Amino acid sequence: MALSFKLLDSVFLSRRCHRQNALHPLLGPLLTDCISKLYSSYRRPGTSPDNTPPWKMNFSFEKGVDVIKKNFGLLKKELVDHWKGPEGYHFDEYLLQQTRVVWEFRSQKDLDEWVVSSDAEIGGKSETYLKLGKNNQTALLYGTLSTEVPRDGETRYSGYCSMKTKLPKGAFGTKKYYDWSNFNSLYLRIRGDGRPWMINIYTNPYFSHQKDDLYNYFMFTRGGPYWQEIKIPFSKFFLSSRGRIQDEQYPLWLDKISTVGFTLGDKADGPFQLEIDFIGLLKDRAHTEEFAYEKYEKNPQA
Amino acid sequence: MNCVRKLLLAREFSAGRGVLRQAAPGRDLPWLQGSSCGQRFWLVPVRSIRSGAALSRFELVPSARGDKEKDRGPRDGSLVPLDELFELAHEGDRNKAAFSRALELFCQRDVRRRGHVEFINIALRKMPEFGVERELDVYNKILDVFPKEVFVPRNYIQRMFNHYPRQQECGIRVLEQMESYGITPNKQTKFLLLQIFGEKSHPVRKYRRLMYWFPKFKHVNPYPVPAALPRDPVDLARISLQRIAADLSAKVTVYQMPLVDISDAGKEITQPHIVGIQSPDQQEILAHHNPSRPVFVEGPFPLWLKKTCVYYYVLRGELLPPEEKEEVIDSERNFFYPMHLDLDLDRGPWDDEEFDVDEAVEGPIFAMCMAGAGDQATLAKWILGLQQTNPILSQTPVVFHLTPGPRELQAGSDSASGEEEIPQSWHAKQEL
Repeated sequence: MALSFKLLDSVFLSRRCHRQNALHPLLGPLLTDCISKLYSSYRRPGTSPDNTPPWKMNFSFEKGVDVIKKNFGLLKKELVDHWKGPEGYHFDEYLLQQTRVVWEFRSQKDLDEWVVSSDAEIGGKSETYLKLGKNNQTALLYGTLSTEVPRDGETRYSGYCSMKTKLPKGAFGTKKYYDWSNFNSLYLRIRGDGRPWMINIYTNPYFSHQKDDLYNYFMFTRGGPYWQEIKIPFSKFFLSSRGRIQDEQYPLWLDKISTVGFTLGDKADGPFQLEIDFIGLLKDRAHTEEFAYEKYEKNPQA
Repeated sequence: MNCVRKLLLAREFSAGRGVLRQAAPGRDLPWLQGSSCGQRFWLVPVRSIRSGAALSRFELVPSARGDKEKDRGPRDGSLVPLDELFELAHEGDRNKAAFSRALELFCQRDVRRRGHVEFINIALRKMPEFGVERELDVYNKILDVFPKEVFVPRNYIQRMFNHYPRQQECGIRVLEQMESYGITPNKQTKFLLLQIFGEKSHPVRKYRRLMYWFPKFKHVNPYPVPAALPRDPVDLARISLQRIAADLSAKVTVYQMPLVDISDAGKEITQPHIVGIQSPDQQEILAHHNPSRPVFVEGPFPLWLKKTCVYYYVLRGELLPPEEKEEVIDSERNFFYPMHLDLDLDRGPWDDEEFDVDEAVEGPIFAMCMAGAGDQATLAKWILGLQQTNPILSQTPVVFHLTPGPRELQAGSDSASGEEEIPQSWHAKQEL
């Protein structure tokens, strides 16, 4: 019964991602080439919409079987985790945890959880690559940034490179969120080259008009050969939508975190690199601030 | 065009409103000789066809500049593309004065500032060419091109709808360019925006947003870069090395000043600068380094200071194998610490603030430098200079791992790909 509810849920909720995904939750795994479109709904000006009928998609039965196997594996894991305690932790461990490592980069499998993109998808000239660093211990995000604006007559700015996690998915494509409400800071161990980055946190949007909302904060790198440990309280993150900072600010919902990403867009053409050791969460008991920005009406309506 | 203007003038004269303007040709009136860009809306309080002081002066007392422009091309009465105003305005180099002259030219052309939206869009595009994209007063002058009080909504219906949307969008675009260059608007900007668009219009709201968020994030960078970087490469190297050293006690040493000299034989000798940094901690680590193991000079690695990229080199050791780890100082003999006790004081998970992760470990860093040239000979001089403070370096083999050029800096840490390894051990003793 619970499973059928979850399936129904996924039918309704995944419609946003892509048309094909909304077709059928079990048909979804059989359609393989919709991955790239899942992460970007942007259509370049001048290109015609993709009107391929669903029966013209390339079916791959073997991959479909693999995906179904994986989904049953996930389902089993979910059931076992549920039996053990919240999120697979034992209850006392879950409550008393002070730190948690969410992402570390030690193998290719860890890199597969991330998606790399740049303004090449809107027609720009930047390039981004992600690979394992020296000794397979870190992730190295590198490439070149180019602010050359694509000549499509509409785009006015260009030049970004970014990396973000894939949307967490439960068994059979159900939505899942990270629940970080036990923690209040993000903790990163990185080594950059002096460029400023932005950390973007995407939370589950309740209404569809909030689907472009992001919570952002800056991550300044010092550069140089030394590693840098950065602690950013979640209270510092401010709300933006489509790249515009919003007048009304709301604190981040820590129990509905979907993805975390990094963006570079400092308008300096040239190569860049960022090494990430791990990304963790921290309960900083000295930090009591709930929200760093004023919540009253700031730019009064007419 | 011209005759229409004359007709309008005549109408105003007949209406008795031209009294003030009649006095205008007498150029001794101080308020006429002021900025011709600013429109004098108090001259004609009623919103009718307002021909400002600029027009009358232009028509009746053609200035010398006006003559020159007439020679160059027909301007009055015929179409001149707005781009050309900028070409007309700059005679010598493109600078702030030329840019303001172009703005003035446009303001003098037409009382009604016809085509000001297009002109402002062009002006915004031209700003980086003239090098004025960071000048606040130039932005204010651009906003001054908008006719005043025309776009202010005057009743509730106008206020309800988007009044003069194109002009408001254009105003927002000016503010957006300020935003993207990080220019904080000032009181004059607000005054102009209020005059042009009125309160609660979209540009004024944008102004408020800027004024709310800019000061909040002004000092958010813990590693600030000065607004204007020093031109001198030695000073630049000093700043960047102090930034990456992350240690206030680190000492910068200039090993060699940049020098261009002509020797007796007439050959030109160029001496690149070499600036190095070493902290006392690094010095101590280097002193404890096993001289039989080589140290490496690696680089160049990039460092970005806003939009400039500089390159630095690192002197580092390799990661020691676990069996060669240094022994811990005996705690009994350490004066400042008592015995090293390993008591389990009933610590629970609530006290465990360590991350459960194997941190990426790397070899120690002994010193960093920046040089004008990245060849081995230059860096060898740096090592020679380091020997004076670190005598152990004279016994240690130094291996140079240099990437061919800064352009092929791909991984920076990956020694396997595209790195030209120079296996030549270089004993400084032999050269000394």
